[in-house]
Amino acid sequence: MGGGTRSLLLRALAFTLVLELLLVPAVLFWPNFRDNLDALRGLMPFQAAREMLEQFGSAGAAGYICGQQFFKACNTLGIAAAVLFAAGAVAGEAHRGTLEIWLARPLTRRRLLLERWLSGALAVALPVFLSSATIPWLAGFVEERVALEAMLLCAAHESTLLLAFYSATFFFSTLGSNPLGIGFAMLLFSIFQFAIYLIEKATHYSLFRLADIPTFIEICDSRSLDVSIVLPLLGASAVFVVASVLAFERRVP
Amino acid sequence: MLSRSMDAAASTPKQGMIRVRGLTRRFGSVTALSPIEFDVGPGGVTALLGPNGSGKSTLLRCMVGLVRPDSGSASIDGVALSGDGTAVRKRCCFAPGEISLYKEMRGREHLEWLLRGRERESRARAVQLADAMGLPLSARVRAYSHGMKRQLLFAAVMAPRVAVRILDEPSEGLDPSKRGAILDIVESDARSGTTILLSSHHLGEVDRVSSRMLFLHQGRLVRSEDSAGVRAQAARTLRLDFGSQLELPANASRVCSTLLRLGAKSALTRGQRAIVQLEQADPRPFLGALAAEASLPAPQGIEYGQLSLSELYHDVYGVEAV
Repeated sequence: MGGGTRSLLLRALAFTLVLELLLVPAVLFWPNFRDNLDALRGLMPFQAAREMLEQFGSAGAAGYICGQQFFKACNTLGIAAAVLFAAGAVAGEAHRGTLEIWLARPLTRRRLLLERWLSGALAVALPVFLSSATIPWLAGFVEERVALEAMLLCAAHESTLLLAFYSATFFFSTLGSNPLGIGFAMLLFSIFQFAIYLIEKATHYSLFRLADIPTFIEICDSRSLDVSIVLPLLGASAVFVVASVLAFERRVP
Repeated sequence: MLSRSMDAAASTPKQGMIRVRGLTRRFGSVTALSPIEFDVGPGGVTALLGPNGSGKSTLLRCMVGLVRPDSGSASIDGVALSGDGTAVRKRCCFAPGEISLYKEMRGREHLEWLLRGRERESRARAVQLADAMGLPLSARVRAYSHGMKRQLLFAAVMAPRVAVRILDEPSEGLDPSKRGAILDIVESDARSGTTILLSSHHLGEVDRVSSRMLFLHQGRLVRSEDSAGVRAQAARTLRLDFGSQLELPANASRVCSTLLRLGAKSALTRGQRAIVQLEQADPRPFLGALAAEASLPAPQGIEYGQLSLSELYHDVYGVEAV
């Protein structure tokens, strides 16, 4: 097993475990949450949080679980993982001084870069699908029924957002030599996006509007992806990948 | 020598040849390579010499496509450099000078990683070579010393069956015995017909293995010498030891002008010695005139027919070589 494959498997496994560890208690907490929704609503300090609770309550278990898995866990830890996996993709090689031997082999730069992009993209997206696939089984423990198809569609939608963040970070990695700086900058950007999501007047400018609770509830209800969101996100990823390839072709080790 | 290279431009490059034509590269306002032209091979060891920052590594990186030249062309083993240089790198092996390996990999695993894209048999040869050098291939690379990492990279570069190898400082950081072993392998490989271009700061090793030397200075190829040329130059080189009398600048200047009057092509002083270049290989007419010259002190010693690479280096760069 090559170093790259092993690294991919380890990263994917670690991310899957983290998502699952967050998912299990969240699902098992559903009955308590449902029974104490009114009391919880009173505890919420601001309007956006109260609205979020309303959405959980009105959509039942599926809405609550989507909120926990996709809006809470994937939009925060998922983006952190995407940024972490992408920031070191090329900048990490330059930082360690291994860029030259990586490029000195008789393999095209395009191939090397796309292999690396793909392995990281799989390590970001696969755990989202794998952990989401366990939701129907976990929901059975709290006597709820959640459709596997709906969860996989939500996972596909979430993955497009994560891939956009991943590809953007990957692009900056092909230009830079400081993976830590690139990672911090992207994390700060995502925190800023999350912060403005919670501000009533600025929320429409947040990228998290593309993957929030109402979006996932809509996917569950319609059992289809919202192409008006998914296609632009995939397009953004494609643009960043093409830009990465072009930048990498001229990169000096 | 350079004109000979220009003549060769008209011919098509042969198998195992390295051909560089008008290669230039700038980094911002810094000119790393001015137009450089030379042919190397087929076969033999050619050394690329020059002080730090002379452009050796940039030249080698440009030749294998790791750095895109601004203009000019290069071909290796009959394949022209284009795009990202993958076609050229398939025809040659390149060992970078700056060595950083993946510390988390084991030695054997790293060899396989380095040989990705090469023929399968090269892995067995690399392992054999690494074993012969005593490398612990089951240990992680983080446990390797600098010299062991250098040897691991060397084993990976020498294993594939290619017509050309380009080695940037292959023995840097090795102790003398390990350096000797590596040079034995380089020599043996060159004897089997491989063209080897190596850059080095160690004049001793260059002296030992190379049949030709390319001198780079401030991004320009300032001189190209083969071993026959060095021998011919040595046959015209005379060293006269005048003792402490030469240490006074006025005396040194007077001695030089007298030596030139006696028929020397050039004369300079270094320490207590005057170094004279003669027009012809036979020193007897000049020595006869020197013996008859009453204005010069009698030399305390005379050396003839010796020219070390460090003197050649001094001659080219005007500084003492390492």
